[in-house]
Amino acid sequence: MKYHITLLIELKDGILDPQGRAVEGVLQGLQFKAQNVRVGRVLEMEVEAGSEAEARATAHSIGKALANPVMEVFVVEAVKELA
Amino acid sequence: MKVAVIQFPGSNCDQDTLWALRLVGLKAEPVWHTERSLEGFQAAILPGGFSYGDYLRAGALAKFSPVMEAVRRLASGGYPVVGICNGFQVLTEAGLLPGALLANTNLHFTCKDVYLRVERTDLPHTTGYRPHQVLKMPIAHGEGRYYADAETLERLEQNRQVVFRYAPAPEEAEEGYNPNGSLHDIAGIVNEQGNVLGLMPHPERAVEGVLGSEDGLPFFVSLKQALEGIA
Repeated sequence: MKYHITLLIELKDGILDPQGRAVEGVLQGLQFKAQNVRVGRVLEMEVEAGSEAEARATAHSIGKALANPVMEVFVVEAVKELA
Repeated sequence: MKVAVIQFPGSNCDQDTLWALRLVGLKAEPVWHTERSLEGFQAAILPGGFSYGDYLRAGALAKFSPVMEAVRRLASGGYPVVGICNGFQVLTEAGLLPGALLANTNLHFTCKDVYLRVERTDLPHTTGYRPHQVLKMPIAHGEGRYYADAETLERLEQNRQVVFRYAPAPEEAEEGYNPNGSLHDIAGIVNEQGNVLGLMPHPERAVEGVLGSEDGLPFFVSLKQALEGIA
């Protein structure tokens, strides 16, 4: 079966995110009351797996390979079976 | 003695690095990143550039290149391995050096001359410098802010693994010299064994007067002398 995976990679808490700060400045300029803006990445992909649990395990391994544990954390945001 | 200059797709300082190595009389050859062996080489340099277009993160995809296993073997054998700029980013991503290089605090891609203080002169890459000598060298990067957690930083300082630190220009103000927000003003570090070194500034772009500085030349001369010691 084919599964669609959504993986989020974010900077760890406490690490200065100059991109987030720049976005925050612009948002505040637009009168939005947004604070602590952080910019991360979304990776989407399709994988073949025998079950949802297997697809999730694969997603976890991919997150581990791609995120840098020195400054990032990753979250497997969604695993959906494709029709 | 032969030095490998690793070419990843997107490397762009490979020819400058080969030039600098040959200028001091070293044999140097380019090695494409799909090679699995570095047999016959006694040192490797990962040059600057934008390997894999800096996609995902600078250096994040290059660490999976087949040649990296051979680089790892060379490093664990005690041979000199150097990462310059993007090469430094690749070495941290590959776990051959601790820490990481994040986006410059001011978000600018910064291309200018900076000043560095030499903190170690007992390494294969730095014997040609005087202790605490201040060097002028260019930087050219968008992700050069050295980061490591507090524990790692403390270990780096205790083991004297910080080799180059950003410093004020001679006769200039004490402030504003750190170009990217690097913690502890770190511009270059070495591994515990003292053979794997990474730095953000470009010594290969400072090897002839016509380039504006010759302060990078002793880096390559040191390497040559170290390699003659190995042979």
